[in-house]
Amino acid sequence: MDYILDFSEVDRSSTPVVGGKNASLGELIRAGIRVPPGFAVTTWSYLDFLEKGGIKEKVWQLLEGLDPEDVAALNQASQSVRELVLSTPMPSEIRDSLLSAYETLCKRCGVSQVPVAVRSSATAEDLPTASFAGQQDTYLWIQGVDQVCERVQRCWASLFTPRAVSYRIKNKFPHEKVLISVGVQKMVNSKTAGVMFTLNPIDGDLSKVVIEAAWGLGETVVSGSVNPDKFVVDKVLMEASEKSVSTKHIQCVYDPSAGGVAELEVPEQLQKQCCLEERELVELVSLAKKIEDHYGIPMDIEWAIDKDISFPENVFIVQARPETVWTQKKREPVIGGKSGRQLLMEQAMKRIRLH
Amino acid sequence: MAQEQTNRFPDPHEFKVPKELEGWEEMYPAHHLFSKERAEWEKQQFWYQDKIHAPEPLPPLDHIFQEAWQIALSQYTTRVFCIPPAQGIAQRVVGCYLYICAIAPPPDEVIAEKAKRFEKRVFYVFEHYDELWDKWLEKFKALGEEMAAVKVPEELPEFVPDEEVLPVPRGVYVSYDLMEAFDKLVDLMFKGWQYHFEMLNLTYLAYLMFADVCRKLFPGISESAIGKMVAGAHVSMFKPEEELCRLARLAHNSRGVSEILKKEASVEEKLEELKKIPDGRAWIEEYEKAKDPWFYVSCGSGWLHHEGSWITQPEIPFEYIKGYIERLENGETIERSLDEIDKQRDRIVAEYRNLIKTDEDRKAFDEAYNTIRTIYRYAEDHLFWVEHWFHTIWFQKIRELGALLVRHDMLNEVDDIFMFNRYEIPELLTELSTAWALGVGIPTRADYYKATVDKRKKILDAAKKWNPVPALGVPPEEVAEPFTIMLWGITTDKVKEWLKGVDAPSAEDVDEIKGFASSAGVAEGPARVLKLLKDITELQPGEILVCPSTNPSWAPVFTKIKAAVTDIGGLTSHAAIVCREYGVPSVTGTGVATQVIKTGDIIKVDGDTGLVTIVKRAS
Repeated sequence: MDYILDFSEVDRSSTPVVGGKNASLGELIRAGIRVPPGFAVTTWSYLDFLEKGGIKEKVWQLLEGLDPEDVAALNQASQSVRELVLSTPMPSEIRDSLLSAYETLCKRCGVSQVPVAVRSSATAEDLPTASFAGQQDTYLWIQGVDQVCERVQRCWASLFTPRAVSYRIKNKFPHEKVLISVGVQKMVNSKTAGVMFTLNPIDGDLSKVVIEAAWGLGETVVSGSVNPDKFVVDKVLMEASEKSVSTKHIQCVYDPSAGGVAELEVPEQLQKQCCLEERELVELVSLAKKIEDHYGIPMDIEWAIDKDISFPENVFIVQARPETVWTQKKREPVIGGKSGRQLLMEQAMKRIRLH
Repeated sequence: MAQEQTNRFPDPHEFKVPKELEGWEEMYPAHHLFSKERAEWEKQQFWYQDKIHAPEPLPPLDHIFQEAWQIALSQYTTRVFCIPPAQGIAQRVVGCYLYICAIAPPPDEVIAEKAKRFEKRVFYVFEHYDELWDKWLEKFKALGEEMAAVKVPEELPEFVPDEEVLPVPRGVYVSYDLMEAFDKLVDLMFKGWQYHFEMLNLTYLAYLMFADVCRKLFPGISESAIGKMVAGAHVSMFKPEEELCRLARLAHNSRGVSEILKKEASVEEKLEELKKIPDGRAWIEEYEKAKDPWFYVSCGSGWLHHEGSWITQPEIPFEYIKGYIERLENGETIERSLDEIDKQRDRIVAEYRNLIKTDEDRKAFDEAYNTIRTIYRYAEDHLFWVEHWFHTIWFQKIRELGALLVRHDMLNEVDDIFMFNRYEIPELLTELSTAWALGVGIPTRADYYKATVDKRKKILDAAKKWNPVPALGVPPEEVAEPFTIMLWGITTDKVKEWLKGVDAPSAEDVDEIKGFASSAGVAEGPARVLKLLKDITELQPGEILVCPSTNPSWAPVFTKIKAAVTDIGGLTSHAAIVCREYGVPSVTGTGVATQVIKTGDIIKVDGDTGLVTIVKRAS
């Protein structure tokens, strides 16, 4: 009946309490994959908020007997519920737990008021998640416990968007049974970030991890606004077969005064410098291999290396999803079940053209 | 000025060597020179300098190995195992350097005929490799022992001894023994080289097959990864070094022995002192046991008489042993764990195998791997037995003849015998025998021979200072000959690289060269260029070794250096194997490193990309 569970305390079986997204972060940690630290605000928090905040009856009442086709009524009810959720003060037991978890996180990161991402994490996996949890709200670069509490409540409220409400009515899913958890996770304040593939996207070579990296936050690499440094590393020997260092003029950084992201010029002496250290490269490749093993298919991964934490704890996986281009192609044998004799005979007949 | 695109190398018939080399042709048999009778054919071929077998100008007698391998290597491809589209490798000498040419494929009907024989003959070898290897080794050891047993007369006595006349005359005497001894040595040398290639062509073919399978499965797989998968740890090539470790450890565990071995004294002095103590005598006994065959290892490639061997230069193994003892005293482990190396190799193979997605491909990989693993150790084992052990015996026997010639004042120095080719030496011996037979007070042309030696030494010195062109003639359309691909790494890129070199103004203007990324890692430091293999003692710890190529006797050096760069050698060259093992970055097969880099230059070796950069020229 915990209000808060650290990501490292949860796994797949925790989904009913922390939601699918938080549970999968816990799974990754179990698999030895480092994700930015954080915690789940459990469904117990949500339930007790309704209960101890004294709004439970009111909420169910507002939603009772709605006709999903009556858009105006639906919108009206949805808005009232969300206003109620947002305006009700968080019960002190829950708020205290959240405060203590946030402070622990700050201490762990060595930063006061550590910027976090606050995201809703739905619990029902048998129905399309997006419809259920409403907006799937995500709030980035949130600082301070007041802000965090406020965003947690917004996530809770997102359960009652008109779309989510009408979807549940249509599918005859009782509103009371739908629970929500919220994830609070450190924003990676990255010195270097980028993407990596667990195969070579150019030729489909499964023995390679290809990494692209640039200074600052990963946005520049993802959006293609900077020519990244590129590394092709062999998974087995952990040796780089290709290393190309580009001139990286700009970088995205977190700007505390603006409370968001800003694009800055890279200091000249760093522009032509390789943005990954050897040990970071090795760490990334190890992580890529672990993730691929865990999911059993080639993966497309976003990663970031944090400024605030020391190596190797600062090398984080931000996102991992299946690689699509090569994985969707049917895996045809490239050689076929040939015998040693056949292979040798083919080789013996071979000529190499020189020009 | 517009740069004209060169697409051919100099015409071998028009090419002129520097005039300091004048007279070089007479050192070598005429069939090894470009000739007007064969000009039409020769002009159409592609001749590139063979730095593996002749990194230096060829002393006339050492040329015998080249003659022997030209026949042996080629016949196995064309007439014995019949690799269908491949022909042999032809040789020519230009300005004392060896040039070779992989001959274009034969007509289709010949290829078809060879294919049938290939199928019949080759698979048998793979299926029976282990027993064939055992037989080979037995046969080869017997051959080496036969050569060691050839009796070279110590001198031509004033009168033959009584026992050769009474009670029954022997019938043949020292004049004949002398000629017979040399002929026998030559015959055995040719025989040894025939044996040398018994399974080597097939080994290389299997390697290329496996490498091709790997590249199909993993398009970006490195040569170093393929090399690591096939390499064995328990091979003869590493045995000399293992014996040094064993002797060092024995000394370390004995009473009084390591103190003597660590002294600044000559080998003879050390042995004398060791004889005085019981543990020392026990150590000498083990040392003697290790010596034959394991110290019959050349200090270079085994291809040149003046490289010396651990037998002729025992101070080299003694120096290595001293180093090992000191490391033992520092609590270091000196032995390589062979089982560990094997285990690591198996892990690498298993990991690549796990990455293969379909069962069919996995089966093909297994089949290819088992094929190469069966036979690959031949590539590593034969090298010790032929180029090192057998050649060292040959050099010993030839020096016995040299000593006889010096004793009878035909030559000034023992090694001067190497200044005559194998066709000329019978003449020299015949002249000596004749003079002896004719009686007393008979003149010889000793002065002519001595003058010839002086002249030839000068030519060879001049040749050493000359940087020979990388190639002559017209680059071919295609290559099928396995050695050309595997050993010399002849590819389109390589040929282009060489062609660039033909136009390049001078070595000083080049500050970046490319080769095979054969051992991972990056290192920067001062270069030590060792063009002549005997200069190895100049190498300082922390330097980057730059040399034409390396060999097993260099092994202990790899613990001293930061990185290695070679002119020659790709995939599985000695330098590449050893560097990977010691975790020293290396770039091999650059073609030009020893020309472009000078001792003292600060260079950066990137074993990940194969790039060598000259950071700062030595002033």
